[in-house]
Amino acid sequence: MTEIPIEVMVNGTRFRRTVAGRLSLADFLREELRLTGTHLGCEHGVCGACSVLVDGRSVRACLMLAAQADGREVTTVEGLGAEARPLRECLARRHGLQCGFCTPGFLITATELLQDNESGKPLTEDGVREALSGNICRCTGYQGIVEAVLEVGNDTETRDDA
Amino acid sequence: MARVEDGTLLAGQGRFAADAAEGAHQVVFVRSTEPHADILGIDTAAARAMPGVLGVYTAADLGLDGARLPVLTTPNPAFAEATGFQMAEQRIPLLATERVHYVGQPIVVLIATDRYRAEDAAEAVTVSYRGRAPVTDAATALEAEPLYDHLADNEIARIGYSFGDPENAFGRAHRVVSGEYRIGRHGAVPLETRGAVARPDRRLRRVDLTTSTQIPHLVRNAVRTVTGWAEHEIVVHVPDVGGGFGTKANVYAEEIVLAVLARQTGFDLAWIEDRQEHLLSAAQGRDQVHRTRLAVDGQGRILAWGDEFLVDVGAGSLWVAGIVANTAVHALGPYRIPAVRMSGRAVLTTKTIVAQYRGAGRPEAAFALERTLDAAAAELGIGTARIREINLLTDTDLPYPRPIPYRDGEPIVYDGWDYRACLTKVRDLLPETERERLRAEHPGALLGYGLGCYLEATARGPYETARLRVLDDGAVELATGAAAAGQGHATVFGRVAATALGIPEDRVRYRPTDTERLPDGIGTFASRSAVVAGSAVHNGAMRLLDRARALAQEVLGGPVEYAGGVFRRGEAEIGLGGIAAHTRGDPTALDVTETYRPRTVTWTMGVHAAIVAVDRRSGMLSVLRYAVAHEGGNELDPEIVRGQILGGVAQGIGGSLFEEYGYAPSGQPLSTTFAAYHLPLSTDVPNVAVAHLHVDTPDNPIGARGAGESGTIAAYPAIAAAVDDALGGRIHCAATPLDPGLIHGALRKAAVLA
Ligand code: FES
Ligand code: FES
Repeated sequence: MTEIPIEVMVNGTRFRRTVAGRLSLADFLREELRLTGTHLGCEHGVCGACSVLVDGRSVRACLMLAAQADGREVTTVEGLGAEARPLRECLARRHGLQCGFCTPGFLITATELLQDNESGKPLTEDGVREALSGNICRCTGYQGIVEAVLEVGNDTETRDDA
Repeated sequence: MARVEDGTLLAGQGRFAADAAEGAHQVVFVRSTEPHADILGIDTAAARAMPGVLGVYTAADLGLDGARLPVLTTPNPAFAEATGFQMAEQRIPLLATERVHYVGQPIVVLIATDRYRAEDAAEAVTVSYRGRAPVTDAATALEAEPLYDHLADNEIARIGYSFGDPENAFGRAHRVVSGEYRIGRHGAVPLETRGAVARPDRRLRRVDLTTSTQIPHLVRNAVRTVTGWAEHEIVVHVPDVGGGFGTKANVYAEEIVLAVLARQTGFDLAWIEDRQEHLLSAAQGRDQVHRTRLAVDGQGRILAWGDEFLVDVGAGSLWVAGIVANTAVHALGPYRIPAVRMSGRAVLTTKTIVAQYRGAGRPEAAFALERTLDAAAAELGIGTARIREINLLTDTDLPYPRPIPYRDGEPIVYDGWDYRACLTKVRDLLPETERERLRAEHPGALLGYGLGCYLEATARGPYETARLRVLDDGAVELATGAAAAGQGHATVFGRVAATALGIPEDRVRYRPTDTERLPDGIGTFASRSAVVAGSAVHNGAMRLLDRARALAQEVLGGPVEYAGGVFRRGEAEIGLGGIAAHTRGDPTALDVTETYRPRTVTWTMGVHAAIVAVDRRSGMLSVLRYAVAHEGGNELDPEIVRGQILGGVAQGIGGSLFEEYGYAPSGQPLSTTFAAYHLPLSTDVPNVAVAHLHVDTPDNPIGARGAGESGTIAAYPAIAAAVDDALGGRIHCAATPLDPGLIHGALRKAAVLA
């Protein structure tokens, strides 16, 4: 089996490894680096639970090979820092998660959406729903997730401290 | 308010089954590719010789020849007697040896050093088959050759009861409407698939099985039934569970085989199912056909109700008794119905096995009754709201007894307050006039308004357990038999314990369920956890406090006052931690295991309202507005209850619009990817307005009613009714998922007529 040397920056740390040609990026992150926050819900590119940022763009880690990450920068849910704090807080407050299995994927997708939206144009509910439609949540019915992204994106301090 | 669970999950630090697999070898199952066939031979030689393969096993290799899955429910004798319930013995093998009954049935299990090699090896196992005729439809199965040799036919369970002289009522009614209603095969499909990790300990002669389940104790019991192991030889642990909704309230052959294989090989083993495997072999749900008759008088008052249903349980169901009984009981609905004739049969086919799926018979029953009511309303020319107003039970009717027992053998008495109030409330939340307002925004669509009522028996017994123990710092450790799968048990049960003990919530440590810490328990399903486990926690906490008080009095030498975890007598005081230290020699002193047994179920009623848009050209459906008003009990955490409703509605929308496990006439399953099995996306689900009408129940110490399935049950009829309405009554939607072809056809015909 072909073994390929790679060098990849994950959450700010540089890793040099030799990987099997067929090893997926998701399995590399989960098995080799023990970053188990990246979840596998389908392994065929539909559910978005495995989303990570590669060079700042969201990617489905189940569809990308570890070898393709050579020379690139990967951010997983574990590597989201201060920029995701408001989102994490809002997701919790608005009950945007139940089992939490989909949550890392939503955090990645929403972080990308919020970064892209630095234009300052207000997010609309339809726009957010469209942007999140590549991530599946089976538990929540999406309402809390959509509200949380809207709240962070539009900086609306609609705290209902229920 | 945020939940206790959220911090770790949001950080990506959850510990799901696959995350507990470190260092374990990987297990893969070789599954049947045939819907129905005799197994002629199994050749594992090539697989054994492959790199990284540590072993390949058939049932015989594991001493599991002839071993079967134990059934999970048997009916209460009084219930069976009153309802004519009967069931036949099911023989679902752990690993098939002679004959297969569905595509995806496990036949061979193998171990390799990694998942990639294990899958390579699985492909190298050859099973040769002699095909038999597949049976993919329940009605056909009733006429077909028996699928199992020990059975005379394919009927696996039946029920039948009547009361109030229905035939007489049908005979003299103003109108009798009849219909046939089908609710398609779909299921829980949690985002996390099934998965388990087994770690054997040779010295202790025990296996620790961490499995993504809602029912750890039933899994443990099943392992013991199959293997004969002692209780201490198999301990089942529940990790973080990525959704269950019923499919994980099942015991699986894979879980039992993994434990046996770990003990036999001495290896740590992980089986983490992939999505295709899940869609092929995890238990599915629904798949019922109802033939209904409803007799009404000139005003629309119900005189008699008849329902004859068939449940397709595929190759078998460990929950068949529950599903059949649930359907037959919940088909009585929240209405004044003087006469009923009910009969149902569960039938074996060559499709995947079936378990409970959120509602488990309740949505199917509600679909049949609600749709028939709508048909009667149309026939009489009265509105769908009107016919419900006339028939819903009100405060003058309730409590309302029914002349049959519930599944626990206790007489059925609906313990609600005023079911019509829920109808009024939901129409306030989402008035029909909203449809008119929305028309302007959606010129390309026809808009319709639909209603659906439900009644659900919640909080069934027989019991649930909780254990509370004071730690040395005075914090309280808590565990319950009702395992968590995303419902926020740590938050809710932590709060119940903290409230009862009068201590801050952060002084309670919730421990995930395991069968060693808490040897007895039932599990999480049937909208039961909040009430039954919550009551066990409450009572356990009170008992713990009583014991602590007695000990504090001993230490302080007389009567004490208690507040916030501290007992006081004058100037002297001792906290819970202090008492724990004082009784160190007797670790049971402040360690309580409580069992709560509800007298019977408590009933939750509600009404759903939906506005659905039908695209004029394509017939495409979208749900624009949705509201639920329900009569519930004391809400232990209103946000969590609301979350259960919202999530339940999303699942109901999925099942109404597109979710279906399709089967080809050849018997091959068609829905084996998320492209073919479409789960609702953020663009498919609207915001849902929820109103909670509080009706306390004196039946349990925390005054709670269950609500876990309330969001799903009435979604199907509400959405179907909205589509009927959008098309001006030109169709009557009688099957889910709703058929776009039928809708499109009706639109074309309407266009021609217009
Ligand atoms: S696991 Fe990658 S998209 Fe589902
Ligand atoms: S919270 Fe369970 S899948 Fe989203």
